[in-house]
Amino acid sequence: MNELEFFDCNCAFGPYRTRVFRFARTASELIEEMDFANISRALVYHTAMRYDHPSVGNELLSAQIADQPRLLATWALLPSQTGEQPPMEVLLNQMRRRQVRALWLFPDDHRYFLDEITWGDQLAVYAERRIPVFVRASLDKVAGLLKSFADLVVVTGSQGSNPLDRYAWPLVEKFPNLIFETSGYLVDGGIEEFCKRYSASRLIFGSGLPENSSGAAMLALARAEISDAERRAIACDNLCRLLAEARLE
Amino acid sequence: MNPSPIAQEYLETGFSLGCPIVDMHGHVGPFYGCYLPSSPLDRMRQRLKRCGVRRIVCSHHSALACDVERGNALMKEVVASYPQEFLAYWVINPHYPEITARDLKSFDRLRGFVGLKFWPDYHLVPVNSPKYAPALEFADAHGLLVLVHTFGESPFDAPGLLAEVAERYPSARFLMGHSGYGEWEKSVAIARDLANVYLDLTSVVQAIDFSQMPGGSLMPAAPSLSPHVNGLIEYMVETAGSRKVVFGSDLPWYSQHYHAGAVLFARISDDQRHDILHRNAERLLGTHLDESMKDEE
Repeated sequence: MNELEFFDCNCAFGPYRTRVFRFARTASELIEEMDFANISRALVYHTAMRYDHPSVGNELLSAQIADQPRLLATWALLPSQTGEQPPMEVLLNQMRRRQVRALWLFPDDHRYFLDEITWGDQLAVYAERRIPVFVRASLDKVAGLLKSFADLVVVTGSQGSNPLDRYAWPLVEKFPNLIFETSGYLVDGGIEEFCKRYSASRLIFGSGLPENSSGAAMLALARAEISDAERRAIACDNLCRLLAEARLE
Repeated sequence: MNPSPIAQEYLETGFSLGCPIVDMHGHVGPFYGCYLPSSPLDRMRQRLKRCGVRRIVCSHHSALACDVERGNALMKEVVASYPQEFLAYWVINPHYPEITARDLKSFDRLRGFVGLKFWPDYHLVPVNSPKYAPALEFADAHGLLVLVHTFGESPFDAPGLLAEVAERYPSARFLMGHSGYGEWEKSVAIARDLANVYLDLTSVVQAIDFSQMPGGSLMPAAPSLSPHVNGLIEYMVETAGSRKVVFGSDLPWYSQHYHAGAVLFARISDDQRHDILHRNAERLLGTHLDESMKDEE
């Protein structure tokens, strides 16, 4: 079990405006949290990307993890129409230079639609380049996005006060590029059932830190009743594969 | 690396003989509002074993969500069949006072039932309503445990409403189900200040983002407070003390390993982990646990 490597696809560092009992303010504090919870690498976002402004947070993130080889960058996107982010070609160049191989959409925080009208000029490009897009939105909104961009690699969670498989599984069957991260997938036996019905290749490990405890997420996957190969795939290999498939050139 | 030997034991084997779990908040049966893969009883029993759970104290989904008589009867059957694994709460639906009165008269004869379960948010009756008074008076007279679903800012079971009831019935022992989700400071202060109120970790260790819920019937309103829960266990222990926090998972809803992991990887001592994972529950269950242990022997 100790040899199992955990690569967290969903964690954040940076300050919050509301009370958060325990969080990592800096990249080095995040590394300490990861060490305590047996997590070796993480695909991270900075809270400023979500709550300040993507143009501020994206830059802060890349600058603050530059000397942290265990942390990999994501950037948050905005609709192009308001001109708040660089034009697509410039953005892609910046992503290539900073090795940003995954993106985030926060439609509820940043207030935009998840549809073809808003995203037609951007998401088809990311779909073609197999750059995974993490989406924090309700599953009906994710379904709407996938109807418009079925080729887009979409990673989403399943946070809610009730388990959401009645919403999620029809989408899994319909859209082969939909991936679930596990930070909110806490229904007992859910990971096991998902692997049996579909495939471990559609799940990637996420802790949700600091919304959730990374040790809790780690232990739940470490003790899930799945094969060691499935566990390795979810804990690390699937995310490595997704990032390797992203074409920045 | 987390230096806790207990955490390492759970990581390596999935359970700990020296620090087992007593789960104070579980359910039995399928649930109308979502798919629960572990709800078949055999599957649930297997999951309990896998996580080293010494006992789980349950209420039946049918009793809570639809038919209180049928559901409580089903729960009796489960406790009778598997006393080494299950203890139970008798569900009170305040809309049926005649059933409550009849059931409470025979409560003393029930084996394996440790107290009462209230679900005010879903029965749509405030916990401080006179409709709950007969059951609360009974619990107070008999020193029963009362597990009350609580949720931050709820008009039916916000922590402040539970505190009012707990002060009125000082001999009843209240488990604040879900620790008044979202109103953390208030809930923890209540558990600190009232000797007969305990914090329940069920679903507390997961951030609930209501923006991700497509919706549905009887969803609680999203609390306006921060949903972040990392570090909450440390705050509970520092403020109310580890002897006021009990383990719960809502099984078959949520992973017990996830819930245990939140305790095992909190920045607290192993002695405090023992309190939360089993010692407090053992103290609260007292002779009920001893009796079911005799069955085991």
